[in-house]
Amino acid sequence: MPAATRYLGKPLKRKEDPRLIQGLAHYVDDIVLPGLHHAAILRSPYAHAQIRSVDVSKAQSAPGVVLVLTGADLRGSIGAVPCAAQIPDMKAAPRPVLAHDRVRFVGEGVAVVVATDRYAARDAIDLIEVDYEPLTPVVDPEKALEKGSTVLYDGYKDNVAYRWELEGGDLKAAFKKADKVIKQRLVNQRLIPVAMETRGVVAEYKPGERQLTLWSSTQIPHLLRTQIASMLDVPEHSVRVITPEVGGGFGSKLNVYVEEALLGYLAMRLGKPVKWIETRRENMQGTTHGRDQIDDVEVAFKRDGTILGLRIHVIADLGAYYQLLTPLIPTLTGLMASGCYKIPAIRTEIIGVLTNKMSTDAYRGAGRPEATYLVERALDLVAAELKNDPADLRRKNFPKLEDFPYATPTGIIYDSANYPRSLDLALKMSDYKKLRQEQAKARKQGRCVGIGLSTYVEICAMGPSSAMPAGGWESATVRIEPSGMINILTGASPHGQGQETSFAQLGAEILGLEPDDVNVIHGDTSIVPYGIGTFGSRGTAVGGVAAYQSLMKLREKLAALAGFLLGEDPSKLVFADMKIFSKFQPKKSLAFGEVVAAAYSAKTLPPNMEPGLDATSFYEPKNFTFPFGAHVCVVEIDTETGDVRLIKYVAVDDCGNVLNPLLVEGQVHGGIVQAFGQAMLEEAVYDEQGQLITGELMDYAIPRASDMPWMETGRTVTPSPVNPLGVKGVGEAGTIGATPALANAVADALAPFGVRHVDMPFKRERIWKLMQKGSRRAK
Amino acid sequence: MKLSGQYSLPAPPAKVWALLTDPGRLAKLLPGCERLDPEGPDRFKAAVKFGIAAISGKYAGTLEFFEKKPPRSMRMRLSGKGLPGFVDGTGQVELAEKGGQTELRYSGEAQVGGMVAAVGQRMIEGAARKIVDEFFAAAAEELKKE
Repeated sequence: MPAATRYLGKPLKRKEDPRLIQGLAHYVDDIVLPGLHHAAILRSPYAHAQIRSVDVSKAQSAPGVVLVLTGADLRGSIGAVPCAAQIPDMKAAPRPVLAHDRVRFVGEGVAVVVATDRYAARDAIDLIEVDYEPLTPVVDPEKALEKGSTVLYDGYKDNVAYRWELEGGDLKAAFKKADKVIKQRLVNQRLIPVAMETRGVVAEYKPGERQLTLWSSTQIPHLLRTQIASMLDVPEHSVRVITPEVGGGFGSKLNVYVEEALLGYLAMRLGKPVKWIETRRENMQGTTHGRDQIDDVEVAFKRDGTILGLRIHVIADLGAYYQLLTPLIPTLTGLMASGCYKIPAIRTEIIGVLTNKMSTDAYRGAGRPEATYLVERALDLVAAELKNDPADLRRKNFPKLEDFPYATPTGIIYDSANYPRSLDLALKMSDYKKLRQEQAKARKQGRCVGIGLSTYVEICAMGPSSAMPAGGWESATVRIEPSGMINILTGASPHGQGQETSFAQLGAEILGLEPDDVNVIHGDTSIVPYGIGTFGSRGTAVGGVAAYQSLMKLREKLAALAGFLLGEDPSKLVFADMKIFSKFQPKKSLAFGEVVAAAYSAKTLPPNMEPGLDATSFYEPKNFTFPFGAHVCVVEIDTETGDVRLIKYVAVDDCGNVLNPLLVEGQVHGGIVQAFGQAMLEEAVYDEQGQLITGELMDYAIPRASDMPWMETGRTVTPSPVNPLGVKGVGEAGTIGATPALANAVADALAPFGVRHVDMPFKRERIWKLMQKGSRRAK
Repeated sequence: MKLSGQYSLPAPPAKVWALLTDPGRLAKLLPGCERLDPEGPDRFKAAVKFGIAAISGKYAGTLEFFEKKPPRSMRMRLSGKGLPGFVDGTGQVELAEKGGQTELRYSGEAQVGGMVAAVGQRMIEGAARKIVDEFFAAAAEELKKE
């Protein structure tokens, strides 16, 4: 990153926001094409059932209906949902586009109707008669593992999707050496991502040109194009995916969904454009869920607080089918199980379980929040056991500064960090000592106050291709147009991250222009070179670096050309104020536009220089990056009602160098709120029959602005040595760091009631019951 | 969903039994019941209108009596489906004489699925209880008339 900056690191307001705020942005549902048809999907009300027959005759003759297709009609026409994750000895669980013989979760598609308007399509769904033979649903992942459980797939002897192990260090010795071992079961409940914009697809096929265009609300337009071409068995160059504005994804749109392939198929079959917009209830039932792990943790430690070893057993509920990364997500928990501590030995054993539920997959943090949660809870359990201050215990177990790059026993290498510095800042900002004094005072008054800490590290900038299922590089093309305006084309297709602003800052900085001179184009596979997408906090740390490299290539070319025109050594040229001039003889100067014009008019080019100004880079990161931070929060629990109020939140995050602090702060805020959702409110609940009973926003509680106190954010800067910008990534930090801080605060508050641990979400009834039990015990 | 309870009905068990097994009278007394047509011995085709909050609709299905021990006890099986979802349940009714009147105990368990489960789960039990209450209140009235 350049040393002196004019725009980089500055809190520029987002270029995206005016159109979003004014309602001028275009989402999938805003796309209207002549002759547009509409699709609606009939979904299974059963979690597990055999389909005996489907009668579509009434639906077919309903007014406006053009086509009705069942799973049986589509057999062999469209490939199954792709899964990019490969784990040794993993059982297959491919999801057909529509179920043809057996349904395996509530919400699985059984038939599709296409009609001339949306209401006709929806109404015709009700005319389809399906004869189901209900089967015993497999809902509880632990019961699913019991002998005699119903098995989801014929031919499999059980519901185990895979077993995965990762061990580093001498675990036996660690547990032998330990003065104490604490065991705890931690439930990381299933969550529903609830992006503000549900999914949606518009597909248009032009038979003459043999071109299928798919507009989809996705995080991965290019990967989607490749997969859709394969599922529909058409050449990849005859498919174009366009991602218009995307109203949030959080990982739930990092996928290839049945509806995307189905709509493409319908458009090709009918020769008509077809639209499908997911309803909220469909979204809750049929867009990937997150988390859902039962983690049994054993932590071995010495009396002085040194952590010696961790033994982790994970039951990961995968749902009924694999989506793109379903089996992979829990393994990230194993990779990150060391947290930001020097733990000599760690063993993680994961059992992936198939159940009659929607698939789990990436959700903001994706396997890492689970790891951080279990490590941070374990640290607090040890601190409570030893009556140590949780801050001191953490500090004791941090790797030393000279240990970096630090290799964990889980086989990864933390790039750079200064954990004590972020912890110190968080303690200082929160006035931690005083908080503890106030807590003691409050407890004397009979108030229930808890202070929670978390120091976290996460794995970002996904990632080196060697460690990724489908490539971990990113592309960027920079085009300087003849008028001197810049277009940056990025393969990292953003959906709220603000790359249109941060990449423009980068372009303006490097080329000495204004951010408004730089336009960022993304999300169209026919315009943007192949890319991987935005997820895993990689937008800036991989996509941004690719943009940086292309910008530098063009800067070099412009310098060579300007040097030639000015008779100056290119290395002595400065790009600033829309000019290119000599550092030592500022009169030797050309307007930026003049040099660009020279590149295009091509009349006075140096020998061997090609005309034009266009550069593409594919940046391959050599490692992940590992942002970190320290969060401190205070909760107070109403002893009468069990209501948990968050009253103070301090977050110190270190994501390396920062392109735009406003964007970073926005990411941190959003992440903390989402973590608050998991800690306090959210839980996807399936009943014993596999019915999703939190299937509406009436029943699935997400946080509101009024739940949140003012969030105080601080930052330390430890640049990453992995990339030339020194950036790390911050998109998921909040959900990773904040969930354990909140959980630790609640456990701390309840300590006087003899409570050691309570599982999320901290609903009033759960907390109240524990307090009642604790009070009785105390009496 | 599980449901159980008991009622006192102002008639001896034989009369209560006769009422409970008469499809014509049952249809009249059961809230929302539009039809209850015999389909075989102790098996009826039913059409019922039922709603919870905004999720209302018609359900079509069957009602079956079995293990009949007149006038003491019987079991029943109910299955129906409609636009808002499906219901599958079994129940048991026991009648005991008490001073010329009948003490009726019932218990049942039902599985509910579809939209009605996704949206109205928390209200289903209350709604079902209300229907049962209404039914027995109407049955008591009917028995008084005899």
